[in-house]
Amino acid sequence: MVEYNKVTDEVVKKLVAICGEKYVTDSEPLRYSYMARGIMGLEAVLPEVVIRPANTEEIRKILMVANDNLSPVTPAAGGLSGGFALPAIEPGGILMDLTRMNKMEVDTENRVMIVEPGVRCGDAWRIFKKKWPEWAPPIPDGAPPGATILGDAIERGFSLVTGRYGPQADMIMGLEIVLPSGELFRTGSWALDGAKAFYRWGVGPNPDGLFLGSQGSMGIITKAAVKIVPHPHFKTIVAYGGDSWEHIIEPAWEIGKYEMGISDNTVMVQGGNWPLVMTRWPKSNVPLDYKFYEKIGIDEYWMNSEVWAHSQEELDFTLKRIDEIYKDYEVKKKTVCKQQQLHPKQIASRLKKPNLIAVPYGLYEAGFLFITWYCPWLESSKMMEEYCAAMENYGFPPTMWVASIDHARQAIVMPILCFDSSEPGIYDKIREFNIETTKSFLKQGWINYRPDPFVHAPLTFSKSKEYYRMLVKFRKVLDPNLILHPGRLAIPWASVTDSPSPLEGE
Amino acid sequence: MTSLEELRKINARCIHCRACQYAYSNEPDREGADEEYTGMMLSCPGGNFYGWEGYFNSGRMWMARAFLEGDLKPSQEMLEVVEACTTCGLCAEQCTNYIDTVDIIEELRAAIIESGVEPLKRHKMIGDRVLEEDKRNPYNDPRSDRTAWHDGSVDDKNMKVAYYVGCTGAYRQQDVAKHTASILKKLGVDFTVLTEEVCCGSPILRTGQKDIFKIVMKENLEMFENYDLLVFSCAGCYRTFKVDYPRQSGKPLPFKVAHTLDIVYDLITEGKLKIEKPYNKKVTWHDPCHTIRHIGLAIEKAILEKSDNWLLDSRKAAKAKEAWYERPREVIRAIPGMDFREMYRIKGNSFCCGAGGGVKTQFPEVANDTARERVKEAAATGAEVLLTSCPFCITNFTDAVNALKKEEEETGKDLSAVGSKLEIVELLQLLDELLD
Ligand SMILES: Cc1cc2nc3c(=O)[nH]c(=O)nc-3n(C[C@H](O)[C@H](O)[C@H](O)COP(=O)(O)OP(=O)(O)OC[C@H]3O[C@@H](n4cnc5c(N)ncnc54)[C@H](O)[C@@H]3O)c2cc1C
Ligand code: SF4
Ligand code: SF4
Repeated sequence: MVEYNKVTDEVVKKLVAICGEKYVTDSEPLRYSYMARGIMGLEAVLPEVVIRPANTEEIRKILMVANDNLSPVTPAAGGLSGGFALPAIEPGGILMDLTRMNKMEVDTENRVMIVEPGVRCGDAWRIFKKKWPEWAPPIPDGAPPGATILGDAIERGFSLVTGRYGPQADMIMGLEIVLPSGELFRTGSWALDGAKAFYRWGVGPNPDGLFLGSQGSMGIITKAAVKIVPHPHFKTIVAYGGDSWEHIIEPAWEIGKYEMGISDNTVMVQGGNWPLVMTRWPKSNVPLDYKFYEKIGIDEYWMNSEVWAHSQEELDFTLKRIDEIYKDYEVKKKTVCKQQQLHPKQIASRLKKPNLIAVPYGLYEAGFLFITWYCPWLESSKMMEEYCAAMENYGFPPTMWVASIDHARQAIVMPILCFDSSEPGIYDKIREFNIETTKSFLKQGWINYRPDPFVHAPLTFSKSKEYYRMLVKFRKVLDPNLILHPGRLAIPWASVTDSPSPLEGE
Repeated sequence: MTSLEELRKINARCIHCRACQYAYSNEPDREGADEEYTGMMLSCPGGNFYGWEGYFNSGRMWMARAFLEGDLKPSQEMLEVVEACTTCGLCAEQCTNYIDTVDIIEELRAAIIESGVEPLKRHKMIGDRVLEEDKRNPYNDPRSDRTAWHDGSVDDKNMKVAYYVGCTGAYRQQDVAKHTASILKKLGVDFTVLTEEVCCGSPILRTGQKDIFKIVMKENLEMFENYDLLVFSCAGCYRTFKVDYPRQSGKPLPFKVAHTLDIVYDLITEGKLKIEKPYNKKVTWHDPCHTIRHIGLAIEKAILEKSDNWLLDSRKAAKAKEAWYERPREVIRAIPGMDFREMYRIKGNSFCCGAGGGVKTQFPEVANDTARERVKEAAATGAEVLLTSCPFCITNFTDAVNALKKEEEETGKDLSAVGSKLEIVELLQLLDELLD
């Protein structure tokens, strides 16, 4: 394992000199207040100091101090990725709470917004609503308001328009990055002095992909230029049911494959199964049998299409075409995909952004974990069938959510593992479940999107060794002392654990 | 008696979504007058002031978890962080995991103190005073003066109704006590007050001093047990009797409780009371956390506790809560001539005055900052009068407005846009003036 040094009083003093006393703390209770394990990452280590920098210059100086002292650094923007925005290794080092850096500029001509890491979705939405109602910031679809635009973009998240534009990282037009050496640079056309962030691929080969999805392990992003999207005000949701995963996945592909026209209007396509409704309530205070849900009009499986249009005519046309496609599909597959009759309140609640729709999974048994996978859209029904069976096998309710990325090119498949966090041995059970499903899914060429450092990452990299070696090389160039939070990707493996490396056996 | 341990499973529902930092966290499209008052707003008094995660409820829940798991050891430092919260309950209102955040925070405070950590200095002082035989109030005033404000019935065991005055009414805001007594008289409610009354224990319980709380709760319950109805003018005392006594004693109350405004509300809605005198002013209303949000949440919880299907019953529970939030508005709307203007953050999403939970005593700077933000919001409605009904809100707002006035004098600036000209009025006082 890589050797790091503890944060000494001397280091704390230096940090105080950079940010001011008010914004540096080694208070134990305050450090614990960030320790939200769960949701996406179960492993986390207590930071030794938390710091709230105000600007890029302070971040530069902090990184240089950390680099000199060999202290690990973890950035947290909204901190809503659970254990992901927390230190993963001992010693916990410096946690950078970036919520103070919350400046936002909007350029509607260039259709881009420049955000610092602390610009939260709830705030961006509020400001757009008043100042630029014809435009929308690409906020995550289902993340709570405290998630940030930048955090979601660098996580390559799932936004309110991902069905149309692709994962959130595809919205990036430029990044401003600080490296542990204190070097600062920008990507895209932004790299040119005085230029706007108007062209992602910029003045030469674009390295920005190294910083997207690497969870702060390659550099700290201090600003991002992100595309904004038109916000037409004719919107609705239509939902169609089905008797299997296949029968909700395939018709959505039929719509997506047009790629232009109605498929562009269909900004978001997402679906699930009936336990997705059940597990939002306490297990002891909700019916556990499908019969009840059937009676209240919930299909066993369903897919929602969220449609945005510039006029009622355009909206009506899109809905008509969607309906025709479903009808054709029913004939072709001799099945029934019944359109659900949504109450206006249900439509309004599904259109709401940002929302708290995914929060109540904590209610079912007081413990939950999102596990996220990507696969080609048409293969997602197979993945979900396998996943649901494995969940039931392990005694978890088969709560499953799926969404289309970029016109049903890829699927984001997300089982929501609801579990009783007080059950003895539960975390071992989750780990076994993860290992079993991961082994099977990797064989089928599917990829985990927010890897667990001790399960998904090593299993994945043992099947992509050359790529892993390259990532390690890049990381060592950007961060030779490996002080940046090694991320859930665990690059390089030795910075995270003494256990055998994914390259073992070479 | 409840304990943090009993709330372990409820605390474990927290997914650190941080929604509880905002008012209207689930209403991103809520319309407001301008960019500041639109959609959701960061609205946790403790968190807004300090900025660190541990001062927001989302961080407190994870501190509680670390404490329960034995990772975080109790300390004075921890108590300082946990106490810097007004227990306003805005966070509980936001949490779609129905976490009883205020209960957890209060039980965490108690657990830290039970583990041997001294209560914070000023909190300890009020706890000690409440126990002192010749005081029994947090203000250090003589017990013998408790009913000095009153010239009516005292210690009458034959009465059916007792007015529980509370320490603030008895010693600091006697005019509110007098107005309440006068309203009751006008409404034909015969009542007595008790010279032996002791502090209800609200500030003691909120600050985690449960041993002392148990003592005063027991005394009050015994002292008043033979009355049919207890009426209140203090939001804190009312909340403590109505919500905390049954929970902390494990027994239903031996008497009914009503805030004086409840009595007025009932009479107005039953058509038995009409306010004739007009009040020709521009007025806004601040919902006191104790009587509005806390009780609303308790109503919602009581319905859910009985339900075996939250999916169906949660809407009914939310409706009952909303109906409670509407009550003071119905009283206000019954006042003729008033130009009533709502602030942006209201009802369950109301922004706290900043004084509760022992904060005004121990962290005056948090209390001041919060009150300034709230009076600014009140001033943004164009109101001349900020109406409320809670002694702590009244004091804290008055202090904020006075500080603004002082600042105006010192700097020559006009601060009316942020509230320097606001008149702070207790609704009970206004009702007394308007009722014949
Ligand atoms: C209830 C719930 C629902 C969710 N729904 C969605 C959804 O619909 N769509 C979706 O995409 N996600 C969703 N998420 C996941 C999560 O909220 C998002 O990924 C979120 O937007 C991440 O943003 P954040 O600001 O919280 O990032 P953080 O958690 O703060 O950070 C994300 C990662 O980036 C790193 N990082 C943070 N700042 C920087 C920086 N400046 N430079 C470099 N690295 C940095 C962190 O270390 C961490 O690894 C949901 C989460 C929850 C809890
Ligand atoms: S208390 Fe509720 S609203 Fe707050 S962070 Fe936890 S789950 Fe979210
Ligand atoms: S009760 Fe009020 S002050 Fe305390 S954490 Fe919740 S919102 Fe903040």
